[in-house]
Amino acid sequence: MSGFATLAPPYSMPSASHDDADLSTSIAQARSRALNGFLAGIELKAFKIAQAALRHEDDALDAVQDAMLQLARAYSDRPAEEWKPLFYRILENRIRDMQRRRTVRGRVLAWLPFRSDDDEDDVDPIAQAPSDEPSPSRKLEIEEAMQALDKALDTLPRRQQQAFMLRTLEGMDVAQTAVAMGCSEGSVKTHYFRALQTLRAQLGDFQT
Amino acid sequence: MSPQDERSTGFEEQARAVLAESVTRIDSRIRSRLNQARQAAIAEVSRPSRRPRLLLMPAAGAVVAAVLVAMVLWQHRPDSALPGNDGGGQMVAAEDLDLIADTDGLDMLQDSDGTFYEWAAGQADAGAETST
Repeated sequence: MSGFATLAPPYSMPSASHDDADLSTSIAQARSRALNGFLAGIELKAFKIAQAALRHEDDALDAVQDAMLQLARAYSDRPAEEWKPLFYRILENRIRDMQRRRTVRGRVLAWLPFRSDDDEDDVDPIAQAPSDEPSPSRKLEIEEAMQALDKALDTLPRRQQQAFMLRTLEGMDVAQTAVAMGCSEGSVKTHYFRALQTLRAQLGDFQT
Repeated sequence: MSPQDERSTGFEEQARAVLAESVTRIDSRIRSRLNQARQAAIAEVSRPSRRPRLLLMPAAGAVVAAVLVAMVLWQHRPDSALPGNDGGGQMVAAEDLDLIADTDGLDMLQDSDGTFYEWAAGQADAGAETST
């Protein structure tokens, strides 16, 4: 009798379809987690790149937000290794759209160096003492170097600036940068080389 | 590596360090808004896909349209177009065809010299007199 008790039910379609639903749900959740991790890893750099191009915090935020949404809507089911160049391609298109619009209405906003407000930082320097925070003089040097680089970046043609930021800040290789910029690898190398030449001519061997 | 290349590499490293430092100094307001934007994007992925439903909608619409057309054609088929006709229309059409196809009537007209009509009229008059 125990042998009859171990027989499997003859029809198991309902449970199978339920398993399929669970599987698709778990896949969607895994994809969401992966996308969340990817976006969390690049959002600050993406903002910095957009801010360097647009010179306006809110516009840069809008551009990054639009790029995030576009990537999630249209390309979240693509392989994760394709996300980065796709994201920066979308971001670049968004930046270009904003720049065109801004050109139409005139360049109202002047160069605004990005400054952090220490009062809003999560870390309280007093509570964290002793800390690895650089000394005030060192912070001042870094601040000056940042401002100088920021100002020099603003003088670069857009494509050179884009190649420089993607290669230097985001650490993308030539192939990825070419996909993100929508051009050949040779063009990326040319833009990057010219950007380096211009920046070095302006900044010299600036020390940090 | 040439001195020029070394200088370029050193410059790149310094620039990378400065840019990395500038990223760490992005304030909490910007971080918070970026976080909100990211959550909105993730919610977009988590939302159930509407694509399959959108693909099914034209097919469902086509089926509904076909059913409606079939119903209209059924309601307006020729038999039911004649008011008060419940099948008699087919009988009338058959009689018409018989009249048209009948050749006896034509032969009678060709061979007739008018005597039939005179006889028929006489029969009608006789009928009228007997009824009165």
